[in-house]
Amino acid sequence: MECNGCEFHSELHYDSEYQIWLRREHDDSLTVGMTDISQTIAGKILHVRVRRPGTVRDPGKPVATIESGKWAGPIPNFIHCVILEGNIEVLENPVLLNSDPYNAWIARVEASAGAEAALEMFLTGDEAHEGYCRRARDEDIHCQRKVR
Amino acid sequence: MAEDQDHYLDNDEKTIVIVMTSGPSTPQRCATPFYLGAIMASMDVEVHIFFTMEGVRLMQCGIAESFAAMEGGKKIIDFIRDAKRAGVVLHVCQPALPGYKLDEDSDLIEEVDHVSRASVLADLVLRCDNVITF
Repeated sequence: MECNGCEFHSELHYDSEYQIWLRREHDDSLTVGMTDISQTIAGKILHVRVRRPGTVRDPGKPVATIESGKWAGPIPNFIHCVILEGNIEVLENPVLLNSDPYNAWIARVEASAGAEAALEMFLTGDEAHEGYCRRARDEDIHCQRKVR
Repeated sequence: MAEDQDHYLDNDEKTIVIVMTSGPSTPQRCATPFYLGAIMASMDVEVHIFFTMEGVRLMQCGIAESFAAMEGGKKIIDFIRDAKRAGVVLHVCQPALPGYKLDEDSDLIEEVDHVSRASVLADLVLRCDNVITF
């Protein structure tokens, strides 16, 4: 599915601003990544750093930092969690976030309250699709996944 | 392991003060403080940017929207907003405002958190871990 060329996956969970996506894994951990909208806004991503595995993160404390040529900022975090691992492939080749944002996950975390409870605050399915398209439309965001 | 250190963040929480004296007359100096501030705030650092001297003009309505650090580059207001979203706190030096004929109630952009006396800067500098000036 796409909106303004921005890829969308209805099975994932999204924050209300569609900055990040989360996927529940078989072991109940959560995989976190950047949406197509986010990677487009950031531009070519040059550097990613994740909080060290084992670090406890409170809501509001970022999971990772991202640097591109024109943007610097956090991968936001909305839940109480522990960092399990960073995606070494992405850490070594950050531009994967631009070219393949839904496969190039950034970090895997364990939600302190469990995955199901944590995901309750995120949007998914048709509701997420509607909001995602609204943001792309309202802010005139046209995504491109090729490396710039 | 150096490579590992480059990939993973485990810095302590610190407080950094960026004293911003540069303004529109030196555009090439006006983006980096916000970019650096945004990165540090994303790393759990408490970041305060204190605008004084010509730096206060960056907080004047209409100014940061009007220019970029480099020709054709991202506007300074967008760097300011990125820094704010990352959690950076913006202070404008109250004693510097009259010299630029700026009214603190009507002439400053909404991104400003505090209009602060010089003593606030003194307190910030005395209690922080590092001061960076631009």
